[in-house]
Amino acid sequence: MPDLHSLSEILLSRPNKPVELLALMQLIQAKYRYLPEEALRELASYLKLPLSRVFAVAGFYKALSLTPKGEKLVKVCCGTACHLKGARQIQGALEEKLKIKLGETGADGKLSLESVNCVGACALAPVVMIDETVFGKTTPKNIGELPLLT
Amino acid sequence: MPDKYIHGTIDGIKISVLKETTILSASKLLDINIPTLCHHEGLVPDGNCRLCTVEIGSKLAVSCLYPLREDNFTVNTKSPKVHEARRFVLSLLIARAPKAPRIIALAKEYGALPSNRFLPEADNCIRCGKCVRICKINRTEAISLVGRGPERIVTGPFLKPPEDCIGCLACGLNCPTGNIPFREKDGIRSIWGRNFNLVPCPECGTALFTKEELDFHKEFAADYCPTCRRKKIAGDLLNCQNLLVRSN
Ligand code: FES
Ligand code: FES
Repeated sequence: MPDLHSLSEILLSRPNKPVELLALMQLIQAKYRYLPEEALRELASYLKLPLSRVFAVAGFYKALSLTPKGEKLVKVCCGTACHLKGARQIQGALEEKLKIKLGETGADGKLSLESVNCVGACALAPVVMIDETVFGKTTPKNIGELPLLT
Repeated sequence: MPDKYIHGTIDGIKISVLKETTILSASKLLDINIPTLCHHEGLVPDGNCRLCTVEIGSKLAVSCLYPLREDNFTVNTKSPKVHEARRFVLSLLIARAPKAPRIIALAKEYGALPSNRFLPEADNCIRCGKCVRICKINRTEAISLVGRGPERIVTGPFLKPPEDCIGCLACGLNCPTGNIPFREKDGIRSIWGRNFNLVPCPECGTALFTKEELDFHKEFAADYCPTCRRKKIAGDLLNCQNLLVRSN
């Protein structure tokens, strides 16, 4: 079981109203890089919501994860513009370089590779995002120069 | 208030209904049968299966959801357009639920062949969410629809047997494809990977409810099965009467 030492602080930082569900999930996700089962149970009882509803919300949003994510999040944009500009090849190159498949997290927990559907930077397609930084005009070649493994 | 009523025809039959009545309810009043899968009288309609499609004016509409609002409506529940719409819906549903008797029968009736446009894993669940809505209205809310698009499934939290389930079977009995298996054997009821002890009626021994159900519905739960309860109440009344007669 993960160390949930600051969970109660996170929970108490917002009022215990059902509308806070998503906000609290985001805080938990930010802290632990996923939503641990125990944390969701605590959250459900804090907000007095049925566990099934909490779980359904947790499973709905791509930004939330039920399995631990890597320290760094690498996202390949597969939106329309990027798709047309060769997102598939970028994805393949990244998979090869990082030695993980799309949707996976490296065994060392350092990196996760994901796809997103448009990050709003279509003019720069194809786009890769690493955490909050956007890298545009990527190619299977220049992907190697991204500050990925630092 | 007469202006609350609106008038029109369904399949050529004249009818007046309260404004906001759904086409499905109005048709029921005329004994016109419209096939439904995800609809249940006790639930807010959700319009998920699209099988109850009919024609209003020249448009197609989902009858379980569509409220009649305008005077002089003309609804057609049997036109070729309606038949074709339902056939199409069924071609998708049969691809999703090829083993469900109800869907097989409907597909046959409408001449629908399984669509090969999508390749879903045929798991017999049509994702209509009826079970989830029933569970919610029963206040148990033990299961939910989780995930999006083709990954959507009905499950208990954390993909485990639902811990808030009380074994009432409301989901299983109402599943239009019969895809929620349950059974009762040797005083144990099983559903969703969980086993529940059935509590026997102290009078006749018939076991109708799980312990969890009785606890959950404390307000109206009785120890006796309905038949014995009725007998008991009748007996009590008789006793009262006798007492009254005697005291007179
Ligand atoms: S499609 Fe990739 S940024 Fe818009
Ligand atoms: S019964 Fe109307 S959409 Fe399912």
